[in-house]
Amino acid sequence: MDMSQYRDLFVSEAREHLNAFNSLIVRLEDLTGDQKLIDELFRHAHSLKGMAATMGYEPIARLSHVMEDQLGHVRDGETTFTPSLADLLFEGADALSGMVSQVESGIETITESNVLIEKLAAFDPSAEIKSSPVLPDESNQAASDSPPTATHNFRQSDSLKSIRIKTETLDHLVNIAGELFTNRYRLAECARRSGLSDFDPPLNQLAALLRELRDVVLQARMVPFAFIAERFPRLVRDLARKQGKEVAFHIDGTNIELDRGVLEEIAEPLIHILRNAVDHGMSTPDERVAAGKPYSGEISLTVIRDKGYVEIAVEDDGCGMDSERLKTKALQKGIISLEQADTMTQQEILMLVCAPGFSTAETVSDISGRGVGMDAVQNAVHSLGGALSIHSETGSGSRIVLRLPITVSIIHVLLVQSGEFEIAFPVNVVCRTLELLRDDILDEACRKVVELDGTRVPVKSLNRLLGQPVAAGPATKIVPAVVCEIGGDKIAFIADCILGQQEIFVRPLTTPLSFLRGISGATVTGDGRVVFVVDVASLTRNRP
Amino acid sequence: MSRTVMIVDDALFMRNILRGILTENGYVVAAEAASGIEAMKHLRTNQPDIVLLDIILPDSNGLDLLQSIAVSYPNSKVVVCSGIGQEQVIQKALDLGAKAFIPKPFKPEKVVEILESLED
Repeated sequence: MDMSQYRDLFVSEAREHLNAFNSLIVRLEDLTGDQKLIDELFRHAHSLKGMAATMGYEPIARLSHVMEDQLGHVRDGETTFTPSLADLLFEGADALSGMVSQVESGIETITESNVLIEKLAAFDPSAEIKSSPVLPDESNQAASDSPPTATHNFRQSDSLKSIRIKTETLDHLVNIAGELFTNRYRLAECARRSGLSDFDPPLNQLAALLRELRDVVLQARMVPFAFIAERFPRLVRDLARKQGKEVAFHIDGTNIELDRGVLEEIAEPLIHILRNAVDHGMSTPDERVAAGKPYSGEISLTVIRDKGYVEIAVEDDGCGMDSERLKTKALQKGIISLEQADTMTQQEILMLVCAPGFSTAETVSDISGRGVGMDAVQNAVHSLGGALSIHSETGSGSRIVLRLPITVSIIHVLLVQSGEFEIAFPVNVVCRTLELLRDDILDEACRKVVELDGTRVPVKSLNRLLGQPVAAGPATKIVPAVVCEIGGDKIAFIADCILGQQEIFVRPLTTPLSFLRGISGATVTGDGRVVFVVDVASLTRNRP
Repeated sequence: MSRTVMIVDDALFMRNILRGILTENGYVVAAEAASGIEAMKHLRTNQPDIVLLDIILPDSNGLDLLQSIAVSYPNSKVVVCSGIGQEQVIQKALDLGAKAFIPKPFKPEKVVEILESLED
């Protein structure tokens, strides 16, 4: 029997086991002695061993075997789960993960991990218990007596009713659905031009079917947030440990589903935000106690669903951001001028951390200084059509909120005319449209503003931003404007005219078009015209 | 002669491999279950001739499940699958009515050989 046909499945299942394994160890560190968690950990090591042995991947089988053995001792009450056992198991999981990657890349001989196997086999937790007793938690013991419930989230649908599909296949389906959308508009346009009204009923039917197809295809791409969140507890724990900090980490809302494409794009930015929270936000326990705070810090990650959006908030109770220091840094780096520094709102000051080239870390540690900054985070959020906002007060922690659309690819847009271009604004950044008299536009310092609900909102000409001719009209002329909100700030764009709303299938731009500033994608309309989708944040960023 | 089999294993990977071996050798895989609950659900609707049962399952002890099957569905022969180092459990399983035992990791020929021995 040819086993190689099972390799891909082995890799993906092994990864699932290792992810679950990692997060279970983190949970066990908080709930030492929880029998249910230990059983589950044991089962993951056991399954992985069996799978690897079946495939003939001996090094993986051997390592998971000694890990299973150690967990067996804990399960049978012979030893206790200690922090150093956790460290060893983490080390084992990392080594296994490397081996699985080798399998994935087709390497025939997997690297053995004899040293680690010996370390694990020789590990004797009882030697350590004498010096650092781990008290069995009675409440947990009691809880484990209750009948076991299915806590395993990912495997519920593993029956004949569900099958695994390669993600490329799903992407392909979305592309086809998107192209069908464009084609329907094109067909409708042809029928209209030729005056073929007989086409209307089938076209309407087609539209309804396409909407259904789109919904089903997009639903198939939805993945629970837990998919990327499994590694976060371990990440926070490792970072905190390395820096001698005490952090309790909570995640809420991991069952909320997002498009796989959105999740993939957001994983790295979230890791960066979490790193920042531990690295810059958290102080050491001594510093915290001196500041009158609890010994252990708290970081929470909360995911909530709000209609077509998902809000992901990372909050910490650390030292917060110092707006004076942020301003000084930005001045030194030439990111803002003295005049700007004087007129900036608190929100604008906090958003300075997202300015390219801005980093407040006094020293670049091996943890935070990994080449991505908050500007990269903001770019990732904006390119998904989302928004990022920061809330912080010196001394009382920070809260960073990412507001993201649940799906990408097929989005609702507001179409406007600017010179010879048709431009699409994703409706999730638009808060309203306005009709302005030229008289309504006021001059303030070095910018133009308009009064809106009692606040002054900056006004920009879309034509000027896009290099289109700017028509000067009489003061009484009415001009349409689109008011957008980015990072908590409103901004109004004047357009030539507002064309209406439509659902479009956004295609990413390839080079050299991808270098265009302020444009995040494009679509082809029913009559074959190209419409560009704006990225409002990069459109308005200060130009050199 | 074709016989029907239900595979009970929490690992999709293992189920796929077993299904491959079984169908290549003329068995019909009537159902697959990833948990004890699923297994009992399937048993209610179709009773296979053979149940291939992994002893370590997420929601229940394989031995408990084995006992329930032996009592409620005596016509289904249970074959227990388990990794090495589980000798005590295996003996218990055989005492509780399991007809045979397939050690993991297994070779396809071994699985077929054990299943064929049930026919006698």
